[in-house]
Amino acid sequence: MIRYTEVDGVPTLIAPTPGPLRAGLMFRVGRADETLPRAGITHLLAHLALAPPGRAGCHDDGTTSPVRTSFHSQGPDQDVAAFLTGVCAALRDLPTRRLETEKEILRTEYGSRPAHPAGSLALWRHGARDHGLAAYPEWGLSMITADDLRAWAARYFTRDNAVLWIGGRDVPAGLTLDLPGGERRPVPAASSALPVTPAYFSDGAHAVALDAVVRRRTAAAVFTGVLERELFRGLRQEGDYASAAAADYEPRGDGYAVITASADALPEKQDAMLGGFVDILAALRVGRIRPADVDAVVAERTHALTDAEGSAARLPSVAFSVLTGEPRPSAEELTAELGQVTIADVHEVAVEALDAALLMVPDGRHADWAGFTEAPTGSGEAMTGRTHRCLDGVDVQLVAGPEGVGLIGAHQRESVRFAECVALLAWPDGRRLLIGADAVSVTVEPTLYAGAAAIPSAIDAAVPAHLRIEMPAREPWAIPRPDPKRHRGTAGPRAGSRLRVWKDAGVTRLALLLALSAAVTALLLPNAVADSGNWVVALVALVVSGVLARALIRRIRLVRRLLQ
Amino acid sequence: MPAASAPPPDFDPAAAYPEMGRLRAALTAPDWPEVRALVAAAPGPVARTMLTQYAATVPGAELFLPDVLARDADDAVAAAVLGGRLITMGWAVRSSAPAAYVSQEQFRTFRDFLVRAERVLIDATARHPADPALWSQRLLSARGLGFGLAEVRRRYDRLAEHDPHHLPAQGHLLQSLCPKWGGTWQQMHAFAHECMLAAPPGAPNAVLVVTGHLERWLADDAHLASPEVRTEIYEAAARSVWDPGFGNDHGWAGVRNTFAMAFSLLGDHRAAAGQFTELGRCASEHPWHFLGDPAEVFVTRRAQAYAKAGL
Repeated sequence: MIRYTEVDGVPTLIAPTPGPLRAGLMFRVGRADETLPRAGITHLLAHLALAPPGRAGCHDDGTTSPVRTSFHSQGPDQDVAAFLTGVCAALRDLPTRRLETEKEILRTEYGSRPAHPAGSLALWRHGARDHGLAAYPEWGLSMITADDLRAWAARYFTRDNAVLWIGGRDVPAGLTLDLPGGERRPVPAASSALPVTPAYFSDGAHAVALDAVVRRRTAAAVFTGVLERELFRGLRQEGDYASAAAADYEPRGDGYAVITASADALPEKQDAMLGGFVDILAALRVGRIRPADVDAVVAERTHALTDAEGSAARLPSVAFSVLTGEPRPSAEELTAELGQVTIADVHEVAVEALDAALLMVPDGRHADWAGFTEAPTGSGEAMTGRTHRCLDGVDVQLVAGPEGVGLIGAHQRESVRFAECVALLAWPDGRRLLIGADAVSVTVEPTLYAGAAAIPSAIDAAVPAHLRIEMPAREPWAIPRPDPKRHRGTAGPRAGSRLRVWKDAGVTRLALLLALSAAVTALLLPNAVADSGNWVVALVALVVSGVLARALIRRIRLVRRLLQ
Repeated sequence: MPAASAPPPDFDPAAAYPEMGRLRAALTAPDWPEVRALVAAAPGPVARTMLTQYAATVPGAELFLPDVLARDADDAVAAAVLGGRLITMGWAVRSSAPAAYVSQEQFRTFRDFLVRAERVLIDATARHPADPALWSQRLLSARGLGFGLAEVRRRYDRLAEHDPHHLPAQGHLLQSLCPKWGGTWQQMHAFAHECMLAAPPGAPNAVLVVTGHLERWLADDAHLASPEVRTEIYEAAARSVWDPGFGNDHGWAGVRNTFAMAFSLLGDHRAAAGQFTELGRCASEHPWHFLGDPAEVFVTRRAQAYAKAGL
C-alpha cells in the first residue's frame, strides 16, 4: 500500500519495507532535455549536488536517465535525511568550485563506460536531439559554465518538478527539502529520424537489438515478458545461437513505453542469431503466442506486486508516474489488470511493436529480407557548392556551399545544412565536425582537401555560436597529412591506375591488332573479286578480326568486372 | 530388360509420380483448390515437399498466388509454392554459373526475388513451424541470400525437429556444406554419412553419400578412383536401393538415377543396369546433367550398362 503525502512542497510516496530505510528524490529532467552542445549538463549537475562524495559505508547515489534524474540513499534515518537535505542545499547553492574536478571525473567515467545497443537504437530512431541524445558523448562538458548550471538547476531542479519516495515507515526526522519553486516540465516530444518503420541499421556491433515504441499498458509489459521467454528459449535453449538474450519494458513518461530486446553471439553464429531473432518476432506478429508464457509472465508480475517488498519495489516507477502525470493504478488494480490480459491483447501489442520496430543487425548484415527497411545512413540530397578533391587518394569530395557542407563519394553521401546543424565541434587545427538534427555528420579535415584552408572559418561564420563545442588540441601526429598513395590499394583504383589495369590486361594491344586486321580486310575485300590472292588474305584477315573481336569483348568484360 | 526394348527416358517427374501431372494441370488451369487438395493428399512430408517444389517450377503461379495469400494468410501450400516460385525465378536470372560470371544487375534481380520469397516464407513458417515444405524452401533462399552456415543449419534443425529424415532438405543442406557455398568437403561427407546412419534400413537417405561423392568428383576427376569412396558407395546402396525395404515413395526415381550414374562411373555396369531396369523410363535430370545433356547421357550410359552386363 502506497501512502501519499508532501515534504516541503514536494509530493511524497511512502511504502513500508522490511529492510532498512531507503529514499529517492527524483526530478523530471535527463539527457533528453539537453542539447548536444551542452550534453552532460544534467549529469554534471547531479555530480556537483552529490559533492562532497558520500560518507563511508553509506549507499548514496545519483543517476541520470534520458528523462529522469534521481538521488537515492539507504541506511539509518538520520543519514538518509542528511543526504537528501544536503543534495537540496547543494542544488540551491551549487559548489561550483568543484566544477573542473567533476568534469574530469565525468570524462573518465565516460571513457570506461561500455557501449550499449540501446544507445545506438536511440540515435538511429530519434537523431541528434531529445531522446536520441543519450547515445552521444558528453561533449558539452568543457563548454558548461557555472551560470549554465545555475540556470539549468533553476529550470528543472525545483520542488514543482520533483517527487520523493520513501521505503520505510515514515518521513525521516530532520529531512528538509529546501528547493525553489518552479514548474512541472513535461517529457520532451520524441523526434523521429526514421522515414519508414519497421526499419533496420547496422553500426558494426556483433549483436542484434530491437526497440519499439508502443502505447503504455499492462499488456505491453506482459508482451515484453513473453518476448524475453521466446528469445531465451529460441536463441539459448533450442540451438545455443546466442550467448545472451533479454528484453526490457520502460515507460517513457509520455503515454508511451519503449520495449527493447537484444542478443549477443560469437562471430560464427551471428547469422543464426539474426535468423532466429527474426523468426521469433514473426511468430509473435502472426499471433503464435504460447498461453503458458502469458500465464507465467502474469504470475511472475502478480507475485512481484503481492510479496512483502511489493509496494516498496514499485516506488520509483510510481514516483515517475507522479512526475509525468500518468495514471498510477494501485497494486490491487494492477493485479486485476494483469489477470485480464488475454492472448489477443498480447498479440495486439506484438503487431503494434513490430510495426514500429527498429532493428540493429550485426556488422555487414541486412534485414530487408525480413521485411525491415534500411534506415537512412546519409542525406538524400547533395549539398551544392564548391567541390574540393581529396588529396589522400580516397574517392571522396568535400562540398562546401552557403547552405552547408557535405561529403560525396562512390558509397557515401552525407551533408549537414547549417540551418539544421545541432552541434559544431571545433578543433584548434581547423578540423570541424558538423552534426545534423537527423544525426548525419560531416567531418572536415582541411588538410585533406584541395583548397580547403578557408572552409573552417566559413563554417564558423555560418553556424550559430551557441552550437559550437571547443575541442582540445590534437597531438601533431594526429592531424592528417595527405598521402596520395595511401589508399590506392584499398579504395579501388583511381583514374590513373584504372588505365593501367586496361593496359595490363592487354586490351589496348588487342584493340590495336583488331584495328590492323580490320583495316586489312576492308582494304582487300573490295578487290578480292579481281585477285584470288587478295581473297585468301582478306578471308584470313576477316577470320582473325573475328577471333580478335571476341577475345577483346571477353577481356573488356573481365576488366570491367575487376574494376567494379 | 534387354537393351533393345528399353523405353526412351522420360524426364517429366509425372512419369514416376502421376499426381505431378495432375498438379501441373491444376496449376495451369489455374484451379487453386484442386492444387491444394492434391498437395494436402500427399502421402507424407517428403511427398508434400516434392509436390510443392515441382509446383514452383510451373510458370504463372506467381501471378495469382499473392491474391490467394491475401485472402487466406494461413494457406501454407500457397506460401510454399509462391516462395518456391520466386526462388526459382531468382535462380533463373542468376543462372548456375560461378559467381564471377554473374553480372551485378543479375545479382540484384536475383536478390530481389529471394527477398520477396523470404518475406512470404518467414510469415508462413511463423504460422506453420512444422511444415517441412516451407523450411525446405527457406534452405534454398538462405543459400541464395548468402547466409552463413550457422543460419542454414538452424533452418534445417527447425525442420528436422518435425521430420528428422527429410531427404529434400538434407539435399539442400548437403549443397550448402559444399566448398562452393562456404562449407568443407569434410563437413559435407560427415553430414551425408550421419543422415545415412540415422535413417532406417531401406530408406533413401543413403543416396546423400553418393551425391556427396559425385559433387566432389565434379571438382576432382580422380575422386571416384579411391577404394574407400567405392566402398562407401556400395555401403550406401546396401542400406537403400539394394535393401528389400526400399520402396517407391516420393524421391525413389532420383535416388536410383543417382546410383545408376555412380555405378556407371565406377564401371560396375551390372549394378548400373540393375538401377536402369528398376527405373524403366523414369529419368531425372539430376545428376545426369553433370555429364552433359541428360537425355543423351542417360541413353548412352544405359546402353553401355546393358551391353557390358551382357543383357
